[in-house]
Amino acid sequence: MSTAAERRSVIVDERAAIDGVQDGMTIAIGGFINAAHPMAIVRQIVRSGARDLTVVGAASSGLEVDMLIAAGCARTVISAYVGAEGLAPIGPAFRRAAQTGELDVFELDEAHYYAGLRASAQRLPFNPWRAGVGTSYPDVNPRLETFADPLNGELLIAVPAIEIDIAFLHAAISDRYGNVQHAGSGYGDRALHAAADRTVVQVELIVSNEQIRQNPAATTIPGADAIVRVPYGAHPFASHGYYPADEAHIREYAAAATDWLKTGSRSRLDDYLERYVRGPADHVEYLERVGVRQVLALSEYA
Amino acid sequence: MNGAPTAKEVMAVAIANDLEDGQWVEVGANLPVPRAGALLAHLTHGPNMTVMLAMTKAYLRDVPVIEEFAFITDVAATRWAEAYYPHDRLLSEMRFRRKGVFFSGGIQIDRFGNSNLIGIGHDPRRLDLRGPGGIGTCNATLQNGCYHLVTTSHSPRVLVERCDYISALGYGDGTPGFRERYGLGANGPASIITPLCVFGFDAETRAARLKSIHPGVTLAQVREQTGFEVGSGRDVADTVAPTQEQLELLRTRIDVKGSLR
Repeated sequence: MSTAAERRSVIVDERAAIDGVQDGMTIAIGGFINAAHPMAIVRQIVRSGARDLTVVGAASSGLEVDMLIAAGCARTVISAYVGAEGLAPIGPAFRRAAQTGELDVFELDEAHYYAGLRASAQRLPFNPWRAGVGTSYPDVNPRLETFADPLNGELLIAVPAIEIDIAFLHAAISDRYGNVQHAGSGYGDRALHAAADRTVVQVELIVSNEQIRQNPAATTIPGADAIVRVPYGAHPFASHGYYPADEAHIREYAAAATDWLKTGSRSRLDDYLERYVRGPADHVEYLERVGVRQVLALSEYA
Repeated sequence: MNGAPTAKEVMAVAIANDLEDGQWVEVGANLPVPRAGALLAHLTHGPNMTVMLAMTKAYLRDVPVIEEFAFITDVAATRWAEAYYPHDRLLSEMRFRRKGVFFSGGIQIDRFGNSNLIGIGHDPRRLDLRGPGGIGTCNATLQNGCYHLVTTSHSPRVLVERCDYISALGYGDGTPGFRERYGLGANGPASIITPLCVFGFDAETRAARLKSIHPGVTLAQVREQTGFEVGSGRDVADTVAPTQEQLELLRTRIDVKGSLR
């Protein structure tokens, strides 16, 4: 058989980007606090009604994780921080759901988080780490086990592998074959990719394969399984090289979620979710609801 | 410079005076006081200091005004980078942190220098107050050569006898050799820096002990606002007041917007 085999494009549309997400699965959401979260995909996951997800946030995650909790998608969160720094020091829905016991928090330090991802990447049951012995971490999270290392008998923490079914990331550019290049440091996205069975990346721009080849050292994810093009797809969070965080919009979400935390009434939070997440049919409609003027006003150096 | 130094400026100067050239200092966005202290040291006596700003290696002595950024992810804060620290790499490479200095906050800080960002309440599954999470403080307080606890809220709710949970280990329960029994270095936190005073830790009892009181603050005020026994107050110095040069650098190059004022 000699069919002319052709290299396959991995570009998909935003609905297909979440193909394979099933209730109870472990998904990861890349980025860091107020930047680089794949929000077009996060909103699509909320629209899909997925439930009981274990959400591996960034080592320190932002209100994208809070939103997945608020929308009832998350059962367990693995992250060392959920919040928006000065805009919301503790994620309001995270706080509420953890306090009522609706949410399991896999309590760990950022260093444990990467040890767990490394174990998954290395196909090992755990990675050892020293920090944490003598603290409350092994008490509040029984999955972190203190053990004596077999060589020298030193006390260490065994951090279990954090095995991810699908990692969802946001980056600057990719070619049609899934060669992804971040702008900026890329935070912990490489580690999430390495720990995941499948990696789906939303990008600001699809570029030519030749452009990627001009600077192969800049390729951070060499071979994503699927790429989806969503300009302004990290909104309301920052996308390095494209736009800063939309603080006004982050405050709008935080205020709605804080209302749920303080009053127990979901009405403002549900209004937010209906207006910006469940209501819009797709990413373009989301941006239309935010407003062209507000989106285009976002400029890194004004 | 017009205006007496504020409590936060006194804290920043205390931090700066303690830092040494050649150290590696991690500056987070959410702790404006340690940020200002580290940058002040860098400008005055730290030409070989590495300041980690917004997860970059930055050299800032030639920067006329070092703008303040709301977020650790602010792209504008990366424009002075000599290198990025990709976060997964930063949290894997521990060896260089021997020359590191770290500053940690806490929703509770106890008498033995333990600190808590996990939460408050008896049942960890149903906390009365869910904290933000420990971020990287458990690891950074162990791996850096030196660390300080910093709070801008000196109150009996923050400075407590015992933390409900320990996310960053100090001297444990204070028994001799607590840290050594876990195979950890002897050094817990060097100090607790607050808007009223600086605590050190007693070499024998491992308990917090007043080291210096800020200008204009009384021992009675410190006692009243602290949830643990602060001692007799004998041998307590006055915190060194900011010099005119330090205040000018703070107000014209480091903290122009006045978040410490």
